[in-house]
Amino acid sequence: MYGELLDALPGVLQWANLAAVVVGVISGIVVGALPGLSATMAISVLIPFTFTLSPLVALGMMAGIYNGAMYGGAIPAVLLRIPGTPAAVATTFDGYPMAQSGRGGYALQVAVVSSALGGIASAFSLMLLAPPLAKLTLLFGPAEVFWTAVFGLSSIVFLLGGSPVKGLVSAAGGVLFSLVGTDGITGYDRFVYDQTELLDGIHIVVLLVGLYALPPVIDLLESPEAADASATQNLGTQSLWKSLPSMFRFWKTWLRGSVIGILIGILPGAGGSMAAFISYNEAKRASRNQDAFGQGEPEGVAAAEIANNADTAAAMIPALTLGIPGTAVAAVMLGGLLIHGMQPGPMLFREHPDIVFGFMWQFLFGAILLIFLGGSLATNSFAKVLRLPRPLLGAIIAALMVIGVYAIHGRMYDVYLMLGFGAIGYAMDKLKFPLPPMVLGLILGDFAESNLRLALRISRGDWTILWANTTSQIIFALTLGVVFGPAIMRRLRRPSAGAQANDKQA
Amino acid sequence: MKHFLKATVLAVSASMMAASVALAAYPEKEIQMLVGFSAGGGTDVMARTVAPFVEKYLGNGAKIVIKNIPGAGGRIAVTAVAEAAPDGYTLGTYNLPGVMARTIDGSSVKYTADSFTFLANMVNDPNVIVTGKNTGIDTLAKLLDKAKKEPGALTVGMAALSGDDRFALTTLENATGTKFNVVPFKGTAPTRSAVMGGHVPVAVMNVSEVTSFRNEFNVLGVTSTNRSAFAPDIPTLKEQGANVINGSLRGFVGPKGMPAEIAAKLISAFKKAYDDPKLQEAMKASGNVTEWTAGDDFKALNAEQLQRAKDVFKATPWK
Repeated sequence: MYGELLDALPGVLQWANLAAVVVGVISGIVVGALPGLSATMAISVLIPFTFTLSPLVALGMMAGIYNGAMYGGAIPAVLLRIPGTPAAVATTFDGYPMAQSGRGGYALQVAVVSSALGGIASAFSLMLLAPPLAKLTLLFGPAEVFWTAVFGLSSIVFLLGGSPVKGLVSAAGGVLFSLVGTDGITGYDRFVYDQTELLDGIHIVVLLVGLYALPPVIDLLESPEAADASATQNLGTQSLWKSLPSMFRFWKTWLRGSVIGILIGILPGAGGSMAAFISYNEAKRASRNQDAFGQGEPEGVAAAEIANNADTAAAMIPALTLGIPGTAVAAVMLGGLLIHGMQPGPMLFREHPDIVFGFMWQFLFGAILLIFLGGSLATNSFAKVLRLPRPLLGAIIAALMVIGVYAIHGRMYDVYLMLGFGAIGYAMDKLKFPLPPMVLGLILGDFAESNLRLALRISRGDWTILWANTTSQIIFALTLGVVFGPAIMRRLRRPSAGAQANDKQA
Repeated sequence: MKHFLKATVLAVSASMMAASVALAAYPEKEIQMLVGFSAGGGTDVMARTVAPFVEKYLGNGAKIVIKNIPGAGGRIAVTAVAEAAPDGYTLGTYNLPGVMARTIDGSSVKYTADSFTFLANMVNDPNVIVTGKNTGIDTLAKLLDKAKKEPGALTVGMAALSGDDRFALTTLENATGTKFNVVPFKGTAPTRSAVMGGHVPVAVMNVSEVTSFRNEFNVLGVTSTNRSAFAPDIPTLKEQGANVINGSLRGFVGPKGMPAEIAAKLISAFKKAYDDPKLQEAMKASGNVTEWTAGDDFKALNAEQLQRAKDVFKATPWK
């Protein structure tokens, strides 16, 4: 197998195939950076055109877009607190505070280096470990996937900090929205009220853009003369190579984030946002100065960005070997493979080694290119948008939001829905309800529900199936730890209040 | 009255002339082909594979534009086809039994079996029954034996409750007096992985969906009349004593009331495309198992599928 990997290299190095990756990375960064446009959308638009392109040009462009967009989403997340893609939500936690304190340029550099490293780790996992990792995917039946979803939701509610009650309310809201649409098992219409537009449920981008992009736009317009110009003028544009050595202290976070991203990537359905959240949480828990997280700790940006790129190529592992895409983007890319007559499965690697292995190389090149293209593109051009007058910037973002949301299905209905979520987001923001649990609630709610019901159908109503095997038990134990761990730790520490104070200072 | 008659005759002959002119010139503008699924799905790939061949055989510089209108399991696009002007410039892909199953299960649909002009069905992907490698069930006889011992205990995974997989299993249950526990995963790929991972012992899917995974599980039989050219080593259920003929069908329709000449011209172009070895090769590569049914035969096939949907729904409603 590794011989074939090398055999595929000359094909990838043809200039057309390389150029495709470059074009893909650049357009991916741009698409990812624009709120409302996502990698899934960009690749969907590309799919019909790939019919006439040669396979490696088409796939190279897709691999580039995927890598580029996962980083691009960090740019508005850092500069404006608007995640460009769902996966960049966790990047706002520390990226935006950094930008406010005049370190936006450094935050973007941390993001680009972390993204690239995550992408490289992910590409290697796809190239070298695809068969064993695919076996790991097979361990996850409906019961195991159900627990994974519950684990993801619990982590975001209980580990994010702030009030767990408010987090729970927000997550429950997201789960409630996930119920809208045709029931995946019986086909009943739920909460649809005769609106055909709701039959397929609420699209994640509609919710994300409404919740996250509208409140900052209103903020921009509320105080048009706000004096944070110092923060935006001064991005701290030290050259990337000079600031690189200061990042090496993140190596543990990078390593952990890569593993988390790859593992979440090979699980069908969860995707980059969950990978980024969990990596962020773990980095925070492992850190000695936990309180700095959320206040502008570069390590938080590194944790989120390494994980959301580490799941890119990894998500292709179950897609290529089993036909189950790990993320929405991987699902669209699978369509791109099908168009070129490549059916996923164990035979794929034997029947089209030049293309499959070439595709893997392209993932690797896309990730490496990110450092060169992403670094300068972001700091030199995108960061300048912040120097625009605030009313103009607000208006541009609002226009982009409407265009992006309209483009998902080509209908105004989604735009109105988005504005409705914007109102909810604005209220939540003012009342200090956290937004991320709602986003993850929408993504994981449906995931948890359908898999719980599948598991119970398999067992014909016997609930013990949820604890029946080791994989379920492990994830269940992790979930319990996440839910009760913080409370137990507090209780243990209470007798010695002094120790707690010391912890905080450490 | 005379004037009226004269006017009518004039109008009729004028419209007839218009029709024949239209035929001679058809197609004189681009034809829209509505696909109810996103770009890159099986149905979309079929449409995009077939379209250039049909363009070629229609002549006249024909241009077919594929328009994806995904949503509600293809319902939105099929409804748009049913409601379009029957002038031959709006066609659509058509999936059986799904399109017909929606008309009888209480889903809100605005079309019936009479809403379409049936052109050509090109794909008939028969079902297969597969079992996990370590289940010990490697023949149909063993499967039925086990199902008879414990009715309803054996779990069968499939893509959906109301699709061709379910219809195949229900037909098998009726033919053999057995009963299974049905679990609908969302789509075939998760079903397939669940069998490979040992989470369910048995699954029903389509023959195109197992060809790349042949060594990963036992394939007990295929629900076609004759062995499939896709996998000639898989025995049919029929030759093993269970008369189950079923499959997932994909074809092309237009709105009802299309001028007969235009329908005929289209069917002839579809037929020439179907007979083109290059198309057959491209269809095979994209996992589309071809079988030709056109015009009235296609309409009869649709009626048959509707009846089967009614029977299955009556016996085991999925809603």
